[in-house]
Amino acid sequence: MISAIGNNVPEALFSLSNSKTGIGKVNHLTTRYKDEYLLGEVKLSNKELMDVVGSTAPGLNRTSLLGMIAAKEALVNSGIDLKDGLRTGLISSTTVAGMCNTELYYRDMVEKHGHLEVLDFHDCGESTERIADHLGIKDFVTTISTACSSAANAVMLGCRMIKSGMLDRAVVGGVDSLSKFTFNGFNTLMILDKEWCKPFDENRKGLNLGEAGAFIIIESEASLKKRNGKALAQVAGYANANDAYHQTASSPDGLGATMAIEQALAMSGLKPADIDYINMHGTGTPNNDQSESKATVNIFGSNVPKFSSTKAFTGHTLAAAASVEAVISVLSILNNKIYPNLNFTTPISEFNLSPVTKVTDAQIKNVLSNSFGFGGNCSSLIISKN
Amino acid sequence: MAKKAYIIGSGCISPQNTVDNNWFFESVVSHESDHLNAIEPSYKEYINPNMLRRMGRAIKMGVTAASIATTEAKVENVDGTMSGTGLGCFEDSERFLLALLRNEEQFLTPTSFIQSTHNTVGSQIALIMKCHNYNHTYVHRGFSFESCIMDAMMSFDEGKHTALIGGIEEHTPIYIDLNQHAHKLDSHIDHKYFEGKDLGIQMGEGAAFFVLSDTNKNASSCIDGISMLYKPEVSKEILLKATQFLKQHNTSLENIDLVLFGLSGDKDLDKHLLDIIAGISKTNAVGHFKHLCGEYHTAGAFGTWLANKIIQKQNIPDAVKINLSNKTSVNTVLIINGYLNINYSFTLLSKC
Repeated sequence: MISAIGNNVPEALFSLSNSKTGIGKVNHLTTRYKDEYLLGEVKLSNKELMDVVGSTAPGLNRTSLLGMIAAKEALVNSGIDLKDGLRTGLISSTTVAGMCNTELYYRDMVEKHGHLEVLDFHDCGESTERIADHLGIKDFVTTISTACSSAANAVMLGCRMIKSGMLDRAVVGGVDSLSKFTFNGFNTLMILDKEWCKPFDENRKGLNLGEAGAFIIIESEASLKKRNGKALAQVAGYANANDAYHQTASSPDGLGATMAIEQALAMSGLKPADIDYINMHGTGTPNNDQSESKATVNIFGSNVPKFSSTKAFTGHTLAAAASVEAVISVLSILNNKIYPNLNFTTPISEFNLSPVTKVTDAQIKNVLSNSFGFGGNCSSLIISKN
Repeated sequence: MAKKAYIIGSGCISPQNTVDNNWFFESVVSHESDHLNAIEPSYKEYINPNMLRRMGRAIKMGVTAASIATTEAKVENVDGTMSGTGLGCFEDSERFLLALLRNEEQFLTPTSFIQSTHNTVGSQIALIMKCHNYNHTYVHRGFSFESCIMDAMMSFDEGKHTALIGGIEEHTPIYIDLNQHAHKLDSHIDHKYFEGKDLGIQMGEGAAFFVLSDTNKNASSCIDGISMLYKPEVSKEILLKATQFLKQHNTSLENIDLVLFGLSGDKDLDKHLLDIIAGISKTNAVGHFKHLCGEYHTAGAFGTWLANKIIQKQNIPDAVKINLSNKTSVNTVLIINGYLNINYSFTLLSKC
């Protein structure tokens, strides 16, 4: 994982354990608003990212670079040898893809027919294929784009393909770099906070955008046994539902979110009381946090488990958000710690729910991780101790 | 994937007159250009005018094709919706991008940004159908639509019964202009892609949706299976994968009544498929389809629409044929599609 809180998982764990946010002043994104807003930028420049992957191939953009670095870290940590004859797929997700470069050249392309090679590197599949080639994966590749729930759907697809016998293991996750396009898009929607975001706070004003690449590797038990591997955790449940309420807003009754959580629980065979921690979607927008709180109460009633949104560490990393949070959920399980919801002071009066605000020790067996997006796309994952 | 997926409804907007589900190549619409524009219907007949006003063309085409398909299938809801698109809602992306660049990030309105996200078509379908079930969007070049088929077939094995799947792509005047200046396009006046004479593609667009069911009631054909192949190095690798795929479905190439190729028209990009055509056209009836719809990420959806109709009508249109078939019936069609010489896919359809 590479994100605003570190260029790899150990660095991220250090930031999480020390309540150190990665969100700050804008250093890399070129925008006229750079002094007005805060972003969760990866600290390395494109040049430095290229040095890490050791490539300056034409058209290699920030999205692909983040994906290549994160996926490679996951693969190396897993100890998997891709040449062992087992079938490995790559399922990535992105919303920005090549837009981070296209936006630099599009005027020149349109007005002077310059930089036309950028056309070849714009689409989402291109970034996934760069990652696949960097890792050496050929058995299966596909790309998902369901807005902010994308990477949860990548995890879900990977699990389903392994269960159905089509793959033995899959590298799954998502990647999005910051772009002027998405920054201005969210800005026109007036859901960006100029200060640090305050998920689940009565006075929350919006989200901070971030960028990240994050991947996990999921594997069948048979494949794990064959190579004598050890799992860090297991995906116990997943579900995808649609809010079918509005193109960008979540419903006030949290219907889509409630359905996703309910179905993920049903699949895992767990009861609501078995959930030890919820890593919330918690973007910090008035709309999301209201809707998600409602869904949480719908499912858990007055016994809401300990919860936090970790977006005040990383910013909202869009298509990468669910895999960033899957990695954080696994870290919670491995370390028996809940990483806090930064910047929270006052509960939302309608619900009176307070997140965990300090790094907290807790026995964590089962984590629910939510990801909800534009287009009503709601997905939930349940990750359990192995 | 053990279960078959039966096609019980289809809707297609393409550079041919496919909006009318009864039309079947009585006359081929000839496009003497390096790009083929979809023939679009009067959308008012399909979409609520309040929603229509805000929609870009990709959304209109997608939502309408989905509506035609669900109407034909007589279903009001489905267990899952899977949409495939390589470029998404490109017109809205381009509009928002140019506005932000030309106005230096000022005076922007959110509408085109909202509509620009790749999952807009799928979510508009969910909104219109008030469908809260599984909803997914695949955005991987020549695997976008094919991933939808795979997902739907997997969902039937998991116990789901219906799925709405589709592929959507739109082009814009600017996008065409850029591709022209990048020397990627060619007019292919005789449409004989299979002769491998030219460089450049004819760019196309369109939307095709299908309602799939796990039972054969009212089905026009069924999809037996789908397989994808990433970056094969030689044509033999493609042929080998096709052979293995057919074997998994208890058949072999000589039993296939029509092999339908997705050639792009660019002899370099098509080199592997042209090799395969040369090898099998003595023993197999062979056809192609992208000269009718143009080349785009999700042209495989048009190919699937065509294969389904060929089986349903038991008629291979002359415009599709590369060589003549001596078979009197068409029980099986294998689509071998290629995209950018990177993404290859195999889709097997049969009579049911």
